[in-house]
Amino acid sequence: MSDNFPKAESADIVLLLEGTFPYISGGVSTWVNQLMRGMPEYRFAAVFLGSRPEDYGAVKYEFPENLVHLETHYLFSQTDMPPIETPRRNPGTSRCLHDIHASLRDPNTSSLPDRLRNIDFFFDPKNGIPQEEFLYGLDSWEYITEMYQTRCTDPSFVDYFWTVRNMHSPIWKLARIAKNLIPGRVYHSVSTGYAGTLGSLLHWHTKRPLILSEHGIYTKERRIDLFNATWVADRRSRLERDPSEISYLRELWIAFFESVGRMCYDASDTIISLFPEAQARQFDDGAKPERCSIIPNGVSIAPFAALHGQRQDDLSAPVLCLLGRVTPIKDIKTFIRSMRAVVNAIPKAVGWIVGPEEEDPDYVAECRSLVDSLDLNQHIQFMGFQRTTDILPQVHLLVLSSISEGLPLVLLEGFAAGVPAVCTDVGACRRLIFGEGDDTYGAAGDIAGIADPKALGVAAVALLRDPERWRNAQRAAIDRVERFYTDTLMFSRYRALYQQAHEASDLPIAPKT
Amino acid sequence: MAGIGFELRKLLRHDDYFGLIRAYSYAGIIGAGPWVISILGVVLLGILSTNHVFPPNLVSQFETSVTYLIAGSLIFSGIWQLAFTRYVSDRLFAREHDLVLPNLNGLLVAAMGSGFVLSGTATLFLFEGTGALYRLLMSALFCLLTGVWVITVMLTGLKHYRAIISAFVVGYGVALSVGLLLRPFGLVGLLFAFFLGQFLLFVGLLAVIYRSYPSRQFLAFDFLKRGQMYASLLACGFFYNAGIWADKIVFWFTPQTSQAVIGPLRASAIYDLPIFLAYLSIIPGMAVFLMRVETDFVDYYDQFYDAVREGGSLSHIRNMRNGMVTSAKTGIFDIIKIQSLATIVAFVIGPAVLRFLGISLLYIPLFKIDVVGAGLQVVLMGILNIFFYLDRRARVVWLTVIFFGLNLVLSIISTHLGLYFYGFGFSISLLVSVLIGLVWLDKDMERVEYQTFMLQPWSH
Repeated sequence: MSDNFPKAESADIVLLLEGTFPYISGGVSTWVNQLMRGMPEYRFAAVFLGSRPEDYGAVKYEFPENLVHLETHYLFSQTDMPPIETPRRNPGTSRCLHDIHASLRDPNTSSLPDRLRNIDFFFDPKNGIPQEEFLYGLDSWEYITEMYQTRCTDPSFVDYFWTVRNMHSPIWKLARIAKNLIPGRVYHSVSTGYAGTLGSLLHWHTKRPLILSEHGIYTKERRIDLFNATWVADRRSRLERDPSEISYLRELWIAFFESVGRMCYDASDTIISLFPEAQARQFDDGAKPERCSIIPNGVSIAPFAALHGQRQDDLSAPVLCLLGRVTPIKDIKTFIRSMRAVVNAIPKAVGWIVGPEEEDPDYVAECRSLVDSLDLNQHIQFMGFQRTTDILPQVHLLVLSSISEGLPLVLLEGFAAGVPAVCTDVGACRRLIFGEGDDTYGAAGDIAGIADPKALGVAAVALLRDPERWRNAQRAAIDRVERFYTDTLMFSRYRALYQQAHEASDLPIAPKT
Repeated sequence: MAGIGFELRKLLRHDDYFGLIRAYSYAGIIGAGPWVISILGVVLLGILSTNHVFPPNLVSQFETSVTYLIAGSLIFSGIWQLAFTRYVSDRLFAREHDLVLPNLNGLLVAAMGSGFVLSGTATLFLFEGTGALYRLLMSALFCLLTGVWVITVMLTGLKHYRAIISAFVVGYGVALSVGLLLRPFGLVGLLFAFFLGQFLLFVGLLAVIYRSYPSRQFLAFDFLKRGQMYASLLACGFFYNAGIWADKIVFWFTPQTSQAVIGPLRASAIYDLPIFLAYLSIIPGMAVFLMRVETDFVDYYDQFYDAVREGGSLSHIRNMRNGMVTSAKTGIFDIIKIQSLATIVAFVIGPAVLRFLGISLLYIPLFKIDVVGAGLQVVLMGILNIFFYLDRRARVVWLTVIFFGLNLVLSIISTHLGLYFYGFGFSISLLVSVLIGLVWLDKDMERVEYQTFMLQPWSH
């Protein structure tokens, strides 16, 4: 499956990617691609972590030449499980399980317990816990049942058991990946979560620097996933169920991702966020301020600036566009509802939904039927994945209705192409629309609350009906992005970071090929 | 920012894992019941013909021929019995009812076809000095019996007990009555009557399948595809049947204990009759076994797996486990109790019965030890049955291999030790297998939840 990917003996920078490049097209993947292309002097390796092979389609990106090594691993694939056999019982195992969990549960420790830092822990049946022990061992079984009896408030044992199994199994896979990975001078993880855990393991195993770049806030996004997830069994009966209280198993997942996040912060030498609010959240989640810094995303200005000439800014028949994957996190439904208000005010307005639709087919179907029921078939088009350079010259207003965002690349691209935007108040959107500090270019659009279609519609209509204000917003958008959010600025900051990390790394420089 | 969190939802599919565990593959074990009926039918037909056919040794020729046919076809079809029954119950679990009939037809074609080639070759080259009609009837019967066993075991697995019993009663009733009419035609006449009875039995059993599992497709060989049948079940089906017959075969082919009867077939006058009579004593044990296992044990068993699947609490799961353990233990001890009683009764009235049937009292010691052995065989069936329910197929393979190996070796030794040791090979091999089985069962029962959860197969 991965055999025609580039392979190398070593690399300068090893990127740890979870569910993004090269299989999923989206903001982070694009950013990864951009980063590698922007720094041709470094040889990159990339480790893709996915759930199961069948969850991904074809590779979505052409590989940059300096991507010298790519491997893919599937954490929830069950094809490579060790043979089912009760392992030999080891007197220390039970004690070891208790100690490790006690230290992981202690709210005061944010660090990976010492004995887990040695990667052999995950393979050595004598002094550690190998995967066979976790999966088939009698001591593991006893420990799981003991924890269920003392801690779990959800009665269903089978659900508890599978939650524990699913939560833990990837760890041994990550340890195996870390053990077999080609040497790299610097590890760079693009999220916490599983990729971040791999980064921590690699950092402790090799003693080499780990850089963490967070585009969203992983734990927050998992929290949103988990709240929406119907797959986390909640078998409480209707009477038992208190809507304000989430099920124990959901809590378990959240706690897991949070503690994994803390350990990743602890292992990282440098922690990058995109904007100050995100950084504040990292502080809250346990990141040490002295290791944190901010590097906003940047876009290549030229290709978008070149589009300015193609624009026909006739606001009597405006095109409103939402650029993004059709998924609940982008809250496409709010955009559709807001279009109702827009069309009521400006009958010639049209809405485009531009983005891949394969991730959550059920949600796509729901969106389409919402369009039907709001009688917007004449006004809303699902256009699938498109090149932004083809789309943007025809668009008059970008709309972003997400319930969670980082620093959205599409907004920067839209700005560079001269398209103002109306966004929900998430991530760095407010900052991008209104500017901050020494940025006095003015408003590049407007902001509305989350899940408030009416406000979103009103803001869009107000902007589109006032050509003077719209033109000012366009000017502000172009000026802001060209001054603060260019790729050259971003590259120069990462270059400095890589340089510094390389100096700290003990791996001798590999001969360039 | 994608992450892989959102794909986690596809993971919780634990229902598949537990689904397959409940499959009724133990059926072949109970399938031993019908062959007791068969032996009885044949012995009865023989006894009733004794003074009506000439020369008198035709009766023993008939009995020996049929005994070989039953033994041979049971061992030969044993390979398929359990594995195919499991295949069928898996299909039913997956709601693929329409695959049952075509695959059964496929199996019958494969098993009966190869059975005919095997028996045809054997009668062609090994049965010198016997008539062509006799040879033809022998090969036809061998392949017919193979078909009968396969369907019987499958229907037992699917719990069509009543249909099986009716078909057997009709089949053997016809064989008996037609046999009495055809006595003047001697050996061939009796065999033909037997053939007719078996044919009706076969058709009757097949009719049950056609009625219960209709299908548009007529013939399929899906069961032969890789991974469709469990190799472990192929093995234990064979070893179980081979184990049951090992001691008899040893005695048939040891010159000091046997006589040539017809063609290459030999019988052991001293060994055969006591052991076949002893098998009569297992009827009460079999009844208790069926009752206990199919009621108490299965109740708890179902509740246990329901609790596992439907999200019961661990303490509830453990209670059901305990119920299962208790009912399994009670079941096995009840079998032991009732078999002990049956053994005592057999010891007391045995001599009288033997005298009534005109059999020499020299057989008494052998008869007694055979009664003990036959009783232990019921206990072994009970143990194997519970292992099948727990899906501990490896245990079953080992137990049947041990039983087969010991029965073969110890029986050979007993033929050398002399008259007073005859029958001990059979009984001791069963005693050892039962003890090992009980130890394993005790160990496994303590770990049922562990095995159910931790050692369940990955579905790929």
